Amino acid sequence: MKRAMFFVMIVAVFVLGTFTAGQAAGKVLHIYEAFDTEEAKLYIEAFEKETGIDVEFVRMSSGEVLARVQAEAANPQASVWHAGSNTSHINASIKGLLAPYKPKTDFELTDQLHAKDWTWTGFYSGAIGFVTNTKFLKEKGVNAPTSWDDLLNPAFSKNVAMAYPYTSGTAYTTYATRIQMLDLDKALDWWEKFDKQSIHQYTKSGTGCIPMVGLGEVAVGISFSHDILAKGVNKGYPVVMTFPKEGTGYEIGGLSLIKGGPEPELGKKFIDWCFTERAQNLFQKYNRLPVNPKAKVAEGSVTLDQVKLIKYDHLWAGKNKGELIKAWRDRIGK
Amino acid sequence: MTGKRHELIGNLRLLWKEPLLLLSIIAIFYFLFVFVISPIFLVFKTSLTIDRQFDLSNYQAVFSKRYYYQPFINSMLLGVLTASTGTLLGFVFAYAITRTPIPFKRFFRITATFPIISPPFVVALAAILLFGRSGGLTPFVEKIIGEYSIYGLGGLVLVETIAYGPIAFLVLHGVLQAIDPALEEAAMDLGASRARVFSTVTLPLAIPGIASAWLLVFIESMADFGNPMVISGNFRVLSVQAFLQITGMYDLSRGSTLAILLLFPTLTAFFLQKYWVSRKSYVTVTGKPTSATIKQLEWYIKLPVYASCILFAGVVFLFYGMVIYGSFQKLWGVDSTLTLRNYIEMYEVGKDYIFDSLALSTLATPITGILGVFIAFLIIRKKFAGRGVMEFVSMLTFAVPGTVVGIGYILAFNQRSALFPFILTGTAWIIVLLLIFRNMPVGIRAGIAALHQIDPSIEEASTDLGATSGRTFRKITLPMIAPAFFSGLAFSFVKSMTAISAIIFVVSGRWNLITVAILGFVDNSQYAQAAAMSLLLIIIVLIALGIIQMFVNRIGKGARTTSIVE
Repeated sequence: MKRAMFFVMIVAVFVLGTFTAGQAAGKVLHIYEAFDTEEAKLYIEAFEKETGIDVEFVRMSSGEVLARVQAEAANPQASVWHAGSNTSHINASIKGLLAPYKPKTDFELTDQLHAKDWTWTGFYSGAIGFVTNTKFLKEKGVNAPTSWDDLLNPAFSKNVAMAYPYTSGTAYTTYATRIQMLDLDKALDWWEKFDKQSIHQYTKSGTGCIPMVGLGEVAVGISFSHDILAKGVNKGYPVVMTFPKEGTGYEIGGLSLIKGGPEPELGKKFIDWCFTERAQNLFQKYNRLPVNPKAKVAEGSVTLDQVKLIKYDHLWAGKNKGELIKAWRDRIGK
Repeated sequence: MTGKRHELIGNLRLLWKEPLLLLSIIAIFYFLFVFVISPIFLVFKTSLTIDRQFDLSNYQAVFSKRYYYQPFINSMLLGVLTASTGTLLGFVFAYAITRTPIPFKRFFRITATFPIISPPFVVALAAILLFGRSGGLTPFVEKIIGEYSIYGLGGLVLVETIAYGPIAFLVLHGVLQAIDPALEEAAMDLGASRARVFSTVTLPLAIPGIASAWLLVFIESMADFGNPMVISGNFRVLSVQAFLQITGMYDLSRGSTLAILLLFPTLTAFFLQKYWVSRKSYVTVTGKPTSATIKQLEWYIKLPVYASCILFAGVVFLFYGMVIYGSFQKLWGVDSTLTLRNYIEMYEVGKDYIFDSLALSTLATPITGILGVFIAFLIIRKKFAGRGVMEFVSMLTFAVPGTVVGIGYILAFNQRSALFPFILTGTAWIIVLLLIFRNMPVGIRAGIAALHQIDPSIEEASTDLGATSGRTFRKITLPMIAPAFFSGLAFSFVKSMTAISAIIFVVSGRWNLITVAILGFVDNSQYAQAAAMSLLLIIIVLIALGIIQMFVNRIGKGARTTSIVE
């Protein structure tokens, strides 16, 4: 028994040692990360290599980041919120959780790409598209949807997946796109039909439907084009990407400095770095569209000028999110 | 009355004589208050406040909107169904192992308990790959039962029965083992038929155990978060909705409300289990169970029991086999070329997570074990005011869904308070403390069970000979309950390594856990990497259990843990 206790003590001391050793190390930048871990590592490791600044990050969905930042408002644990649809950054900005910062860039950031008070900036973009399983299309002899109303086609009955508009920036962008195209009442009428006839299930994350389509669990999914390419087409799933001919909405990926974060100076350096040509070139691997005009666009990527876009109002979508979501949940009941 | 008062005064005097004991009782109360009560209280408070004002509108909304109360109904339905199927499964298995001469008992026992050590999501993932719309076995199953969907209530019940049936099995195995077979034999000798013995002797004696198992599985199913996340389809359950409300709607106060809604049924079940069912315990032995003399059984009993056991063992193998197979596939579900790439990718992305999980669990586990056994010792052997409260509070975390605890910990330790003047968010300590207080009930229960089996007169002899309480505890009690202590250790290590629902709220950049990485993979639909990492986790847990068993063998001189995987 004594020996067991001794062993336990040794282990405890050892672990304690590693704790304190870890905490005594040099200054570190803490980031809340909304990109997937694998992708985040690509950017963060490049940043660490170039600047010598150590980064520690936690990966969460943008909703989780917002909840976390809000809960920690009295004592913020991270300095930067990296990625996630700008809708949630706008929301955080309204709640007063973000600090203004105008990044130093070698190109002009258009008004679409930053908050008026610079509490967030946009550092990539992408359009909403449809992803469809090609085996399914062949079997049923139908074409991939090329308009919003194609989604109501009985061939896709109970065979469409997308995320909940209240958990995913992707799905919210889709919903806000439909409202901006139709107006709220008509959009909800359309959605009610869509929900009853076509939806198989809603997922938590915006990209969740892509592998579902790839695996044939559902026929059609709605997601961002860069995600459809990176997580569907390029992975080798039998899928095809299409866009609605009436026009579609698009996202701007947000980046912001958390108010009262522990390392504001390092955070600013990171934000500056995110807009450099080298950093923006890295987006090629995940088919995101860079905002730096000098950066290269991945082959096969769909740039925003190749798709018919609606005049999507991000600020309006971000500001009214609470009410619009409530209207959706009241009508759809999910 | 005078006797009782006399006893109380005696106890007070004892406490006075042993300030260390008094001090540790006070310390434990303080810790329980800070780390168990106050986080839950804060969640409750948050559900009743909007912008720092008292407000009942959250509750109004929850009871008037279909999208809030429907998940509540769904969760209850799921809990009841899973509890019933899980208990049935557990009972059949426990019966087979304690009452029939089924061959390969050890094999069946290990198979029946295996799902306990596996991380969340795994069973649900395997179910989709086997029975999803384009699953491996789907065409075959469709031929038999027609078109079906694994997503929804049916799939969830299947998956949770596999995941939580083993808990029922563990409970019922203990219960059936404790029922002296001599009673059944006596009834048989008096001429009762096998069916009559079962329905008039075995079953009535096992009823409290069955009710207990049912309620435990009900609690687990209600609080389950990982499986519904993957396979619930359009069947929305409360645990996931509470999580989505917070992470998706950024709505801490309504999310807290949903969490509180989830808390009520689980707490009710916990109360029933603890204060009603356990009072009706008809366990018939006082010492160690006597070895049953198993007689030959009629074929009509053996056949269904054996068939169920073989079927379930087959299902476990099928599901976990699918996970192993899947972890080597190039693109799970599409390109089945075998490759090691998933393991390499998994390791590159997740090596820090693996180290952190190991370090934090290794630190938390012995503390959990020691604290658990010590509290059990206080509850069973010492008499002091508030003993019942101590027992209740320390067991409480078991009934509180992880989501509630996680939110509570952020709310409680994100700022300094008069009670606890340290900020813990972002440190490793919040994770370690969460693990300790969440897993403690396991250690306590193991300790209580062991202490009940040891005659207090042995300890009294020690104190009569002049040893202090502390010395008696160290020299007499601890060695005797070592097996329980180690089984508590084993279990809490497993729980630490596979925890997710509460932990996801408190992980930070510096400290991260393996299950969070798996959730990330699942979220990203990188099923193969998720499977590879899950397997790695299972292997780590198995090795750790092996090491703990080795300790027991050396120290306990052949004593065995009542280990979950033997």
